[in-house]
Amino acid sequence: MEVSSQGISKHSTANAAISPTHKNKPARRSFGLDKIVLILVMLYLLVPLGATLVFSLNNGKNFGLSSFQRIISDADFATTFPFSIELAVATTILMVILITPTAYWIQLRLPQARPIMDFLTLVPFGVPAIVMAFGLIEVYGSPNALVSVLSLGLVPLLSNQLNVVNTPPLMVCAYVIIALPFTYRPIDNNLRAINTSVLSEAAYSLGCGWWRTFLTVILPNIWPGIISAALLTFATVMGEFTVASLFSIYTFPIYLNVTGQNDAHKAAALTILSFTITLICVLGIILLIRFRPGGAGKDSQIEIGTAK
Amino acid sequence: MAFLELENIAKYFGRNAAVEHIDLSVERSEFLTLLGPSGCGKTTILRMIAGFETPSEGNILLDDENITNRAASKRPMGMVFQSYALFPHMTAEQNIAFGISIQHKPKDFIKHRCAELLELVGLSDKGSSFPHQLSGGQQQRIALARALAVEPKVLLLDEPLSALDAKVRVSLRNEIRRVQQQLKMTAIYVTHDQEEALAISDRIAVMAKGHIEQLDQPEEIYSNPRTVFAASFVGSSNQFQGVLESAGEGLCQADDYLLHVSPQQELKDGEQVLVLTRPEEMSIGPTTEEEAYSGNSSGNHITGIIELRTFLGPFTRFHVRVNKNMILTADIPSQQARDYFVAQHVTLSFPPDACQVLPLDSNESNLVKQIESKTV
Repeated sequence: MEVSSQGISKHSTANAAISPTHKNKPARRSFGLDKIVLILVMLYLLVPLGATLVFSLNNGKNFGLSSFQRIISDADFATTFPFSIELAVATTILMVILITPTAYWIQLRLPQARPIMDFLTLVPFGVPAIVMAFGLIEVYGSPNALVSVLSLGLVPLLSNQLNVVNTPPLMVCAYVIIALPFTYRPIDNNLRAINTSVLSEAAYSLGCGWWRTFLTVILPNIWPGIISAALLTFATVMGEFTVASLFSIYTFPIYLNVTGQNDAHKAAALTILSFTITLICVLGIILLIRFRPGGAGKDSQIEIGTAK
Repeated sequence: MAFLELENIAKYFGRNAAVEHIDLSVERSEFLTLLGPSGCGKTTILRMIAGFETPSEGNILLDDENITNRAASKRPMGMVFQSYALFPHMTAEQNIAFGISIQHKPKDFIKHRCAELLELVGLSDKGSSFPHQLSGGQQQRIALARALAVEPKVLLLDEPLSALDAKVRVSLRNEIRRVQQQLKMTAIYVTHDQEEALAISDRIAVMAKGHIEQLDQPEEIYSNPRTVFAASFVGSSNQFQGVLESAGEGLCQADDYLLHVSPQQELKDGEQVLVLTRPEEMSIGPTTEEEAYSGNSSGNHITGIIELRTFLGPFTRFHVRVNKNMILTADIPSQQARDYFVAQHVTLSFPPDACQVLPLDSNESNLVKQIESKTV
């Protein structure tokens, strides 16, 4: 599943407002490099997508929706797609619940811990998913004495009693780590942008406690960051292949891979389908932020691309 | 016992002392200003009163109750911030209602109170506007209304006008004072702007390096500063460093000038002193070129050349070079200033009782230099 990597901001409307003044300049000079570059970029993005669409509609002999019909009637699609969505939703919820209060707390009370958090959130970029998957299987699959001691008995408890190895709950935990950079940064950037400490102090001085301040003052003002984070986490999980493959859990990306090896037209149709679903999600969220009361979303940027 | 008492308050950040052993009493309905340059500890004091910082030492008592360790949200304080700190996702009315709604008051009461406060700050028609739709001045009025909504015992204002432009600053400052007097609210106001402090306060605490230099009424602070810092920080002044020749006669040798000052009872002959005169105490008169070059300055008549003439509306400010190292400032009513121009030779005069004489120790002479270099 792909997500457009462009930040969407108010600048587009600002440019539109400014453009009439450019008309005063000689028109021929302004139709130049900028428009050519724009067209080239659009082609670069749209040609593969268009080609995939054409390929998905072509079953080798004639054009039609047969590939899409085959997907819908496929039992594997009916099981893996909702399952991956469940995994993605679980990861997103866990992530937002874990990271948002943490980022707020760091911003407010532990600014000196920020470099550590910055480093921690970069680690998943540096360590490939395959290393983490092997690590998890190794640690939880056959815990040794040292790991037991270091984890204060948690690893043996999880692996022996709760039997977490190769289960969706452990995979969700792994996904949280993989998606950490995409979540922490947009939320942290948003918290920095809204002058968190002063807003919090204003709320305290009005008799509001910590949690209530977080829920009623801070959270509504960092929605764009949380939405970005949730979207990126969701997309990451929907497209994650390595961990699922090594855990031997049949998810949507694995289904996509298997399909691609057997039926290329069907795989193309799947790509178009997942792209369309993502596009609808993104557009829906953007509209939601832009037109909510207060219109604060108009001033905020959804940082989809920055983390990636 | 005063309404709000700070007893021996100190605050250390690591090894640095932000505030050192301060005692401060604020009476009910009083408007007290903490005035000082940045880093003098004034905001730290305000934040300790608000509960955002915990004092390293000492106690804070409000209405005979020790509130030193009470959480900020449990203190009966209203705070107005420099950056307004309005909640961006709420309308002006919702912002004002925020504090009261936490107290679980009935809806009708909240609505009535919001309308009342919007009227008090003159923004009855802006209740449904969001902060980004309001100007800086309007936002700060809403912030003031929001702080007053919870009926605080003390209103704390942390440089509330610093982010506003000059005209709005003056009108809002008058507004704050009017509201404070109308509601008989106890207020503590932090600013680095001496004009603001003089205009608005019942009393001013002039602060430097974590302690209070002088705590007095504005008139006293201006006309009778007790320390060199207070004299230098509040208002501008011409300064002469010298030795007191005769305390009884009021004679002081400063640079090449023998200055006549009023008799000094508390100072001894031969003591190092700083003599200050306010620019508006100076009068200006013509002089001949010969007199000017001869350096023939007697008593409190000092000759020099006008280097800069700045028209400031009701008065005109002259910078007069009286010798190689010294420029004196004189504020002359603009009607009298018409005859004087740049490069003209003039005599500046000032009466003995316009001179403030302060003892000067070596630390303070350094301080004076620092302040001078900052103000220049």
